[in-house]
Amino acid sequence: MAGEAMLAVRDLRVTFGPVRAVDGVCLEIGRGPFGVALVGESGSGKTTVGRAILRLVPAAGGTIRFEGQDVLGLRGRPLREYRRAAQMVFQDADNSLDPRMRIGATLGEVLRAHGPAAHGPAARGTVGDRVAALLREAALDPELASRYPHQLSGGQRQRVAIARALAVSPRLLVLDEPTSALDVTAQARILALVRRLREQRQLAYLLITHNLAIIPGLCEQAVVLYLGRVAETGPTAGLLARPAHPYTLALRSAVPEVDAAARRSRIILSGDIPHTAAPPPGCPFHPRCPLAVDACRVTVPPLRTVAPGRQAACHRSGEVLAGLRPSDAASQLADELP
Amino acid sequence: MKLEIRDLQVRFGGPAARPAASVAGLTVDGGEIVGLAGESGSGKSMTILAVLGLAGTAGATVTGSVKLDGQELTGLSGAALRAIRGRRIAAIFQSPSLAFNPVFRVGQVVSRTLRLHGLSAGEARERADAAMRSVLLSPDLLRRYPAQLSGGQLQRVAIALALALRAEVLLADEPTSALDVTVQAEVLELLRELRDSRGMAILFVSHDLAVIAELCDRVAIMRSGEVVEQGPTGQVLAAPRHDYTRELLAAVPRLAGPGAGG
Amino acid sequence: MTAARPLGGAGGGRPPRSQQRFLRFLRANPLIAAGGAISLLILLVALAAPLLAPYPADAGSATHPEIALQAPSLQHLFGTDQVGRDVFSRVLYGARVSPLVALLVLLLACAVGIPLGVIAGYFGGAGDEAIMRITDVFLAFPSLLLALAFAAVLPPSLTSLTIAIAITWWPWYTRLIRGQAASVAGRPYVEACRALGIPSWRILLRHVLPNSVTPLIVQVSLDFGGVILTASALSFLGLGAQDPTPDWGLMVAEGENYFTTQWWLVTFPGLAILLTALAFTLLGDGLRDVLDPRRVPLR
Repeated sequence: MAGEAMLAVRDLRVTFGPVRAVDGVCLEIGRGPFGVALVGESGSGKTTVGRAILRLVPAAGGTIRFEGQDVLGLRGRPLREYRRAAQMVFQDADNSLDPRMRIGATLGEVLRAHGPAAHGPAARGTVGDRVAALLREAALDPELASRYPHQLSGGQRQRVAIARALAVSPRLLVLDEPTSALDVTAQARILALVRRLREQRQLAYLLITHNLAIIPGLCEQAVVLYLGRVAETGPTAGLLARPAHPYTLALRSAVPEVDAAARRSRIILSGDIPHTAAPPPGCPFHPRCPLAVDACRVTVPPLRTVAPGRQAACHRSGEVLAGLRPSDAASQLADELP
Repeated sequence: MKLEIRDLQVRFGGPAARPAASVAGLTVDGGEIVGLAGESGSGKSMTILAVLGLAGTAGATVTGSVKLDGQELTGLSGAALRAIRGRRIAAIFQSPSLAFNPVFRVGQVVSRTLRLHGLSAGEARERADAAMRSVLLSPDLLRRYPAQLSGGQLQRVAIALALALRAEVLLADEPTSALDVTVQAEVLELLRELRDSRGMAILFVSHDLAVIAELCDRVAIMRSGEVVEQGPTGQVLAAPRHDYTRELLAAVPRLAGPGAGG
Repeated sequence: MTAARPLGGAGGGRPPRSQQRFLRFLRANPLIAAGGAISLLILLVALAAPLLAPYPADAGSATHPEIALQAPSLQHLFGTDQVGRDVFSRVLYGARVSPLVALLVLLLACAVGIPLGVIAGYFGGAGDEAIMRITDVFLAFPSLLLALAFAAVLPPSLTSLTIAIAITWWPWYTRLIRGQAASVAGRPYVEACRALGIPSWRILLRHVLPNSVTPLIVQVSLDFGGVILTASALSFLGLGAQDPTPDWGLMVAEGENYFTTQWWLVTFPGLAILLTALAFTLLGDGLRDVLDPRRVPLR
């Protein structure tokens, strides 16, 4: 069906005890090649959303549909099928590979676990052949199959993690902060790899990151999260060029730029991100928001459409979209929240 | 020159070994921020340790000269170095939680350090409170344990400690790499303030060229233990002379999209 | 672009280098070297007992009452016991008994304790609770008394001894490995395996088990000595080996009444027990040092 999204998340809620890590998040990922960026800082719930999509944490509410099918109720064989179609590349590449297993064994294990029928283009030859093919696809020397994780660089480990996720030819890939722990050149290589794989395998992916700068060119859509709720969402180019939410403004202004010409005046937010266990009343962002008004302290702004294809959860989103900016970029004494 | 590094070489395993870090000449004056840019293994962290006189504990031998206000630091006795470390040269690191013993309240660590450097209890208290306010934190936070503070807050407490000690030089080793981007912006703003209003000399180590571009007045690019290029930041980044610098620049992600800028 | 750059440690040492490394390793770890050497010695003695013992029949049912209770001499290095058997030969043959019992006990304890511990630690929940409560019950008793109780119920023999001690031993291992397994279960690579659809039994066998078993290895080698002592104690009390089995504990028991005058009946078997326990304790201590993850690895 042309119009139907590959992955549709509606009103997702995930709680850890009293903490609402994810509180009503909606997002959609279209058929591949298609990339959606899930942007947020600590406490935004972005990693939890990714894990909930892959059924690694239980959802407290909401629905997740993959290719029309409900994901949250899956068990047994259908669940394993889903786990083939949707894969994850974890944040901590250093620890997501078993330190006692060689790379070849780690990759081989995945291939064996899903049986010969499961594999796409790499499905010819022995397991060893397929492992070598996977490594080559991830721009790694097949010779690395005989090494242990600690003998590889951080960038190489991350690429092995990607190769492993690709071993079962998934249709949906969730990449959790794939570049955070890496040097800038290794980072560039990983991003180039994702771009290439996107075309070669027609991948649909969810790119979870706190770094806005890596999104352009990789993701068509962006969803900005703050404290477990969606702040705004829309096509990447438009969202970055003309944000509709003060948090996106602040986030964008905080990204350091190498080219002096690209820099904008800093919006320094006051205070720190509050603990998710005790979210503020009204709009979760209001204590740090330079544009907050009385309504913000009282009512939670609903997520609503502010322009074609653009949604934002802010009482003043119309104004922000039209160009309203905080006039005073100075910091104030922080009122620390418990 | 506040801090002057000349012919500094840090070696592991004998005089014939290839140096892990080799800096022919680097200076940091009061009121300026100098960046040391490079990837993992470039030797930049080793350089910081050598300046602090701590490279020996990692098993390395250090040759060359490090001068603070003209006074030679290499070769000083342990006691003399301890008097300088913290008090005149302070350091903050990538993981602020490493600087604070988790079983003590943050304020205890701060006041103990201040008193070790000769302040009385009352003075320590005053200075600590004033320093906390300078980094835009409420002095009440000193009563908390490290686990109760966020990464950004802890990093600012570490900076507050440097301020309270009235350190003249601040060595910062990837202090914002582990922080959220909005928190990073705050910490960088704070460092700029320290440079401007207090005339601190800051040596800032990072692999993030974009941060260095925004923060540092001058930059030295390190690769495999050597400084390959250095100069005023704007100049080095606009007209890089070394291939490696060009490679690093090309790899920096840009908000305007891949291929933008150069 | 992807020539591998191994960080730290070469890809693989071939024979000559590993030999050198082994020797360097021994010099750096005197505990393992000493413990290992003595253990090896005991193993050799056990294997070669028929060749080394001057009077192999004495380790069996032979008796020579006419030369009973003779002091150590050239013909009988450790003297003779109350029915004229050569103590030296019996001590040598005893090296086959006690260590074998210890080995069997530990194997049994591991066979029961490890699977239970790994399952409890990985799955948690009600199963974990149930298993832990069972181990609680066992651990509430001093192990020697518990073994005694079991051994007293069964007909006295080496088999009963082995079973009795094994029953009291497995709960410790379950406890030990459960903690490790629970910790490993939370690690990113295990989570990655679950996300990849790898079946639980495989995760347990290939990931959780190998990564949890290290402290257990150390504990088992330390326990070797402990089991030998326990077995000796039970044999001493008459609940294990029976005459004429040359079990060291039994020999000490039988020689007890003669201790003040014919000291050799008790002393030599006693020393053998001491030496064996010491050897494995040293080995265990050394292993613990080596396997400590905080050490700079020898790779």
